[in-house]
Amino acid sequence: MKSIPRNQQIPVVTELTPCRHPVGEILSEDERISFSRRRFLEAAGFTLSLAALQGCSRAPVEHAVSFTDQPEGMIPGQMRQFASTCAGCAAGCGLLVGVRDGRPLKMEGMREHPLSAGGLCAIGQALPLGLYDSHRLKQPLLKGQLAEWWEVDKGIIDILKDIEQQKGAVRFVTPTVTSPTLQASIDAFLARFTNGRHISFDAVSCSAILDAHQQTHGTRLLPRFRFDLADVIVSFGADFLGTWISPVEFTSSWRTRRIPTAEHPQMSYHVQLEGRVSLTGSNADRRFRLAPDEYGAVLNFVQVKLTERAGMAAEPVEPWPSPLPESELARLVDRLWNARGSSLVVCDSQDVAVQILVNSINHLLGNYGKTLDVERPSRQKQGNDADVLKLLDELSAGTVAALFVAGTDLTQNLPVSESLAEAIAKVRLVVSFSERADDFASRAHFVCPDHHPLESWMDAEPVNGVVSIFQPLLEPLGKTRSILESLSQWSGQASTAYDLVRATWEKDILPRAKASSFQGFWDKSVHDGFVEVLPRAVTTSEFQTGVVKLVPKTIAGGDYCLSLYSKVGLTDSRHAHNPWLQELPDPVTKVTWDNYVCVSASIAETLMLTDGDVVSVSAGEGRESVELPALIQRGQHDRVIAIALGYGVKGTDRFSQIGPQWLESRLTVIPGDTVGKNAAPLIDAHEGTLRYVRNDVTLRKIGGRHELAATQEHHTLEIPRNVAPHGAEVRDVVQHTSLAAFARDPQAGKPEQHISAEPQLWADDHPKEGHAWGLVIDMNACTGCSACLVACQSENNVPVVGKDEVRRQREMHWIRIDRYYAGEDDDLTVSHQPMMCQHCDNAPCESVCPVLATVHSSEGLNEQVYNRCVGTRYCANNCPYKVRRFNWFDYPHDDSLLSLALNPDVTVRTRGVMEKCSMCVQRIEHGKIEASRNGTPVADGQVQTACQQSCPAKAIVFGDMNDVSSAIHKSLQNPRRYGVLEEFNFRTNVSYLRTVRNQPDDQPNSEPHEGGQHV
Amino acid sequence: MPQRILTIVLLVGLTAVGASIGSRRLPDNQQGYSPKQPIAYSHRLHAGELGIDCRFCHSPAEQGRHAGIPSADVCMKCHKYVTSSFDLLQQEITRADEEKRKPEVIVSPDLRKLYEALGIDDPQKSTADPHAAPISWIRVHNLPDYVAFDHSAHVTAGVSCEKCHGPVDSMQRIRQFETLSMGWCVNCHRESSEQGINGHAVKASTDCTVCHN
Repeated sequence: MKSIPRNQQIPVVTELTPCRHPVGEILSEDERISFSRRRFLEAAGFTLSLAALQGCSRAPVEHAVSFTDQPEGMIPGQMRQFASTCAGCAAGCGLLVGVRDGRPLKMEGMREHPLSAGGLCAIGQALPLGLYDSHRLKQPLLKGQLAEWWEVDKGIIDILKDIEQQKGAVRFVTPTVTSPTLQASIDAFLARFTNGRHISFDAVSCSAILDAHQQTHGTRLLPRFRFDLADVIVSFGADFLGTWISPVEFTSSWRTRRIPTAEHPQMSYHVQLEGRVSLTGSNADRRFRLAPDEYGAVLNFVQVKLTERAGMAAEPVEPWPSPLPESELARLVDRLWNARGSSLVVCDSQDVAVQILVNSINHLLGNYGKTLDVERPSRQKQGNDADVLKLLDELSAGTVAALFVAGTDLTQNLPVSESLAEAIAKVRLVVSFSERADDFASRAHFVCPDHHPLESWMDAEPVNGVVSIFQPLLEPLGKTRSILESLSQWSGQASTAYDLVRATWEKDILPRAKASSFQGFWDKSVHDGFVEVLPRAVTTSEFQTGVVKLVPKTIAGGDYCLSLYSKVGLTDSRHAHNPWLQELPDPVTKVTWDNYVCVSASIAETLMLTDGDVVSVSAGEGRESVELPALIQRGQHDRVIAIALGYGVKGTDRFSQIGPQWLESRLTVIPGDTVGKNAAPLIDAHEGTLRYVRNDVTLRKIGGRHELAATQEHHTLEIPRNVAPHGAEVRDVVQHTSLAAFARDPQAGKPEQHISAEPQLWADDHPKEGHAWGLVIDMNACTGCSACLVACQSENNVPVVGKDEVRRQREMHWIRIDRYYAGEDDDLTVSHQPMMCQHCDNAPCESVCPVLATVHSSEGLNEQVYNRCVGTRYCANNCPYKVRRFNWFDYPHDDSLLSLALNPDVTVRTRGVMEKCSMCVQRIEHGKIEASRNGTPVADGQVQTACQQSCPAKAIVFGDMNDVSSAIHKSLQNPRRYGVLEEFNFRTNVSYLRTVRNQPDDQPNSEPHEGGQHV
Repeated sequence: MPQRILTIVLLVGLTAVGASIGSRRLPDNQQGYSPKQPIAYSHRLHAGELGIDCRFCHSPAEQGRHAGIPSADVCMKCHKYVTSSFDLLQQEITRADEEKRKPEVIVSPDLRKLYEALGIDDPQKSTADPHAAPISWIRVHNLPDYVAFDHSAHVTAGVSCEKCHGPVDSMQRIRQFETLSMGWCVNCHRESSEQGINGHAVKASTDCTVCHN
């Protein structure tokens, strides 16, 4: 047989067949296409003229749909702000929602709010992305299938009737409920069952603080911490500026005591004792490395010393040697004792015994009633871990008949997810109110999606006596239903959320207010968004000294101490679907799109780890393990390994192709996988609380790499060490001084540098006769919380680029927070410096642009003209501050729902165009037009940039530098003022105010800062 | 010979194409755009013959960036009673008088569309249904998305409506009168800064970010 018949040919390539025309083969004369240069030009010319003719055709027809009945006060295209409350966490910050043409666009802090005082964190800023998320459920689910509300209601009501008759156990799980109306609705719903209980479960719980107060004060409460009244703040691990309880409120109040002036060189003294490096620790005056399992040892010491000072009989100290030098601790005790009544000790431990000791110390210092308010306590964390653990027992015993879960993902956030899932399968009725098909919802029989907080009526009482309102700002985007309405439907008294909230306010809130008529009170409350009323009566007993005992030594062996923490901008799992927050660099590690195991340098050395090596952390008897990349963290305690919670959320592989997809692009996350890994299995349920710290852990290097996308080394202002002449690699980008030095000389810390006084080349080029806009950033107030970053992203349509592009240094954020380290582990000093376009008058970018795409305005702004830009990137190359961002791609805007979050005032940039901070020029123009309409000059404070508006620490001042009465004019006279790279005479319009730490001498300033070093 | 004919044909053709381009406009220039609107609304009648001020219907022009297309309820301020042309109404009244009956409500076909948009049958009795089909007008004056134009800034500065929109009071169907190109804007900004508007000195900036941000 010469060949195999065609139909029998086996489709296996045995050898490579040569191609018909191997490379280099000369084509025969008739095969060659004769295409002369002349023919090409003719064709090109013809094509061009056709294209030109085509261009003369009309633009596509655009329709303008007018209202049938225009709402009162509505002006097309004009932003209107409505007061509401932030629902990102239970802290209940005041919110002003900017609504334009019917869609909520921009979240802003409410200046008048008694708690948040005008600030808003990154999570609050990112709310619109949650609202316009196309993955939110649009209607209820019945056994995983789309269903109608009547079907779901019928199913639930029928089963509930049965359970009611059989006296079955009904359990309702929510995170902290601060809403009086929701609490009343849940209570009313559960009242008809003989065995109904409401369980508060916080994914990141503070249960031990409440339990400790139950023992010391007789009432389970969380005091309101008043950092604004504290002269000495000692925090054991509590990241109160980053994630702990109410970070915006705490940042705002902490900041009030942190600004020394030449006349009053005083500030609070903040000591942080912690294992990992938290945002709060990075801002402390003195930071001690202390493993979280050794808090007890230090607290014992402080307790004993204070008891001695108070002249009481001290318990004999147990032999638990203090891990820190006793002389240092004695000095700390002195400072605390001298600041009796104006000091504050806080601790994030979940060990009730440790928290009782903290209470006792605060009691000995006379802080209760002063820096700890128990008369008007906080309601921002009410999670009761003992209840949760009891529920788990009930579930595994199979005694629960109905389980309702709202506002949290139970299986995601608890350590026992596997056994819990089996136990849940035994429950007869499982209902979830989740807004998306999360892990628990996928196990529920019914999913009854709640509205987004911007779509519905609700209320909140985050602190006893401060009551605020959520109001709906658009029609619900899907067929969702408020949880209040669902509960009222199932209770048999169907009502609307509006009526329910109103009814609670009339019944409960009005009697506590000084108002006479309800309608007037209600209207004013809705307008203002909050109201301060008389607090509910709280009965506390005398301090129970009997329960106070020194903490016994608990370290049970083990080489490591695991610390599970929540990350700034993400906290628990509920914001994991928000790409702005996923791409927000962690303020300390600067890593995006991942969680990781922070290890100390010594652990890394022992295990021979480098950043990105995959390690396995396992803990507990079940040896629950999590495999994550390692990250070496300077300043971390030698034994501590830290992992962020809130990652590994089901469905986050939706972000696998979030960035531009091109030839070499890599996926942000592999389909089927999750962004980061869930560390909740490592939580230790121990003695009635969920512990985020444990000793029984093992850490193993298991081989394999997982590249982390960290922005720390991107856009550095340092001269690379390998090219810098000796001594030139250190630039005084961040300037430090100590309070002692500042008191002697307000200009202390100013480096000796030669500031060019040469005549200007274009001296009269920028006269700035009208306005002269500028920014001043107070480095002493700035904590690095990154709220400004997301605020800017929301205001200026900054795209999300995905993990791979971040890894390639192509993140698009217009403002970045540079993090600098000085010192080694024990004396680590961290600085956070917001860096955005400095709007130089002598701008290096302007002189190199070949097409005048970046020019100077008559008001001192460095303008970027997108339509002129041809993308040479010379400007970015020449920018000394490295703040210019290039659009390497057309970043996807194909999700039409998500595109509703775009700000119509700001151009969406296309591929090949440079962009950077515009100092929110759209807001400036708007402010000027508004002023001219009113016939007044632009008032100071009338225009606020997005970053300034959001800043919880009020670290950013924007204004007209020509206006001598303005706040910025005053800030510029501050002796702490300096310019970054001022010695080069760029004449920036952005200035900084030098950091002052409450320290005795000039120690920190002598240390060179190592920017760009990710060590 | 054929070559010469070809040359002539080409020349004539090119001239014709050139002329047609010249008579039209540069790319993106929508000058003269006057599409047929869903309702044959006449600015000549309302602004010209009846002398209604522009801001009566386009009130947001003083308050915000868009002049806005008036909502249908603004039309109803008059058209609750004026349901057809004056002549037809007058004729019906005369006829009704002669026939000794009450005059019938006469609704013109275009106003019928307005009432339909409001979801009302009898303009004098029924109330509007806010969820009825609103009127989808065709937008004539349309600047690109990267231009931030604010009406109120110009109205406040004293720029008259005609300066940009031309003699609207003589337009039966609204038409884009000016080019609305950037050069045209900048020229006016320069002139206004030099000469002022209506005798008032103004500062019409030509910074890029005044319009582009």
